[in-house]
Amino acid sequence: MSTPTLKNPPTTTAAPTALSRPAARRQRSMAERLIAPLFLAPTVIGMAIFTIVPILGSILLAFFRWDIISAPEFVGFSNFADIVSDPTVRVSFLNTIVFVVVAVTLQLGISMALAVAIQGRMPNWLRVFFRSAFFFPLILSAASVSIFMGYLFNEQFGVVNWLLSLVGIPAVPWLTTSGGAAAVVVLVYVWQNFGFSFLLFIGGLASIPKELLEASALDGATGWRQFVNVTLPLLSPTVLVASVMAIISALQVFDQPYVLTRGGPGDSTRTAVMVIFESAFQRLEFGRASAIGLVLMMLIMAITALQFRLSRRFVFYQ
Amino acid sequence: MRSTYFPGQDNELRARVGDLSRRTLLGALGIGAVGATVGAWPRLTGTDIPGRNSTALNVAILGTAADAAARQALVDEFTSLHPDIPVRIQAIQGADWRDFFSKILTMVAAGDPPDVVYVATEGAQLFAEKLAEPLDAYLTRDAADIQEYFQDVHPSLIEAFMYRGSLYQLPLDWNAANMYLNTSALERAGLSRPADDWTHEDFTATMRAMKSTTDGSFTPYYWTNRLFGGVVPWLYANDTSFLTEEKAAGGDWFWDRFYASDPTRAQRSGGYLWEAPNAEAPRVVETFDYLRELVAEGLGVRPEGGGGNALVGLFASSRIGATPAGGYWVQGLHEAGMGADDFDVQFFPRWRTQRHQFGAAGYAIMRTAKDKDAAWEWVKFCASKPAMELAFPTPNTTPTRRSMVNQSLYSDTGPEHWKVFYDTLDRFPTSGPIPAPPQQAAVETALMKNVSVAVSGSSAQVRSAMGSLQRDLELALRSTP
Repeated sequence: MSTPTLKNPPTTTAAPTALSRPAARRQRSMAERLIAPLFLAPTVIGMAIFTIVPILGSILLAFFRWDIISAPEFVGFSNFADIVSDPTVRVSFLNTIVFVVVAVTLQLGISMALAVAIQGRMPNWLRVFFRSAFFFPLILSAASVSIFMGYLFNEQFGVVNWLLSLVGIPAVPWLTTSGGAAAVVVLVYVWQNFGFSFLLFIGGLASIPKELLEASALDGATGWRQFVNVTLPLLSPTVLVASVMAIISALQVFDQPYVLTRGGPGDSTRTAVMVIFESAFQRLEFGRASAIGLVLMMLIMAITALQFRLSRRFVFYQ
Repeated sequence: MRSTYFPGQDNELRARVGDLSRRTLLGALGIGAVGATVGAWPRLTGTDIPGRNSTALNVAILGTAADAAARQALVDEFTSLHPDIPVRIQAIQGADWRDFFSKILTMVAAGDPPDVVYVATEGAQLFAEKLAEPLDAYLTRDAADIQEYFQDVHPSLIEAFMYRGSLYQLPLDWNAANMYLNTSALERAGLSRPADDWTHEDFTATMRAMKSTTDGSFTPYYWTNRLFGGVVPWLYANDTSFLTEEKAAGGDWFWDRFYASDPTRAQRSGGYLWEAPNAEAPRVVETFDYLRELVAEGLGVRPEGGGGNALVGLFASSRIGATPAGGYWVQGLHEAGMGADDFDVQFFPRWRTQRHQFGAAGYAIMRTAKDKDAAWEWVKFCASKPAMELAFPTPNTTPTRRSMVNQSLYSDTGPEHWKVFYDTLDRFPTSGPIPAPPQQAAVETALMKNVSVAVSGSSAQVRSAMGSLQRDLELALRSTP
């Protein structure tokens, strides 16, 4: 495709039987300039319509009082003042942060441990089985899983308490005490979501050069020492991606606490997204809901930015 | 150019696709995109959404497609009487009425509201305040046609749908929070069905007796954490509520026209008003403390939120001794295998009063309805006895028409004392509806969140939870609408 060198380039007075070379180049260059936006257009238009416009609309709505039925009324920053003074909103954000810390730690820890474990010696069919089994909960509906788990953890007739009773442990009020409800919500969330991080870690582990592991083994680093000093640093880019995605997802937790506990007992399992839902669809305060959503979005952005900043110190690229 | 696209490919492949230039490919893609857009246009513009731009009367109900199909006989009968009014039943699924109302509001926001909505007491004032058309003019116009309906329906049920002097719905089914009793649990405890005027102390004694004769897998009293059948029946029995209850002026035009000779005429009003929190009132605290003691003693469960979906199965398998519910439970227990004598029903226990809590439901015409006259014809038709007999063939709820709550409805299913259902209103005419102001969803959320805390700890925790409930209710009642 390289342009052949011309021994006798045409003079500017040559008959214009075809496009002159600079003109052809200009035309090709224009076509090339057009082709890229053309290919990008579907994605850009889709993002604009379904992501950018709703975000802008939501930001705008945060400054209005709107109940769907009546016309919106501009209220300035009063929605933000309202959420700052509302103890339920404050508690829900605090719950969300605690939830993120506990759930993401468990999710990443369990998924990494299982990913490392199935890299060990085992028949291939068993490895395939484990991969499928660990990923399976992720494809289930969170609402369905939560309803099912609600039955399992029911104090009176749940299977979990029945199993505990077999070993003499009295019935635990899983869903009707603050600690029990929070534990079940975390457990159900982690059980359903660790499969995604697990897949990321499987991919990350597979990309670690075997020579490095063999070399470290020859130098005497095996087992836990090899994992900490060789595997984990080489896996750190994957850990970064998995943790960013897990934190963003956990900050938006809704289905599990809504179905299992409706945010109770008290406010013990009420999360930020639940308060957004309740503000919008129960109190019909869509402006207030947008304001809370905006605060949550900023929190997510701040945490993600912090993660990437910290990653400069803790993430090692080969 | 071609060799660039297929470097190293065999000549045959090159020959087959070689004529496809980049321009042709882009053209084809463009045509494909345009074709796909044209094909998907109805979806993109929402014109293929069932009911949108349709001239049919769009009737929204809480339920599944099967529930909508079950109403087909009703629709067919209506169509035979009004062939010029096509009707489309739109079933909207929801975990509870709160969910259902949220979805209706979403439809309103999307510019696709139904014409008529089946609304329960929980949403009656929300709809009256924001969405529904008063029926006053239609009732006045068609008074002669509708008189027979009111003669058959208790005025307490009608008053629940009055709002500031106007009537918004004709209730078709209702349920009071009566007390279901498991016969085998009573027999094991050596007890018989309690007396009609049993007290809350009798109730406690009955639960203790049941507990003493069963093992740990049995729960004497099971209750749920929600507006209907949770703490509210106990508050009503103790002559109080967590919200102040007042009655609006007005409505005389209606009561004088349709219930002039009713013995309870004097107590009727322009509807209920719940405008202020009352959670810290001594009787409210006393009631919560009583329930806390039931839980602490192991006589009652710590209530979970929700509709108690598993409750029928638990009761049918005799793992529950008693639970508050209405006539809607009968068919479910029958289908779960309970015989007519395996369970019975009694009035809710007396405390300072024996006032009961009830909920009802009926069709509301939306202010945005395309043809309100057609919508009224549907509402009027559904309140007729033939239509209600088509709508309620089994005891999966209690029809509002007294004449339909009879032996034949309960002959296959029981319970023996089915008369309790309608007698609740006759014996206790001050019985009141679910306290559901226009801010019902926020109020219910506030109540649910604090009930579970109040009944799960010490007596001091009850007072603290009531303080929290008071604050949450103040916020809830301040909110829109």
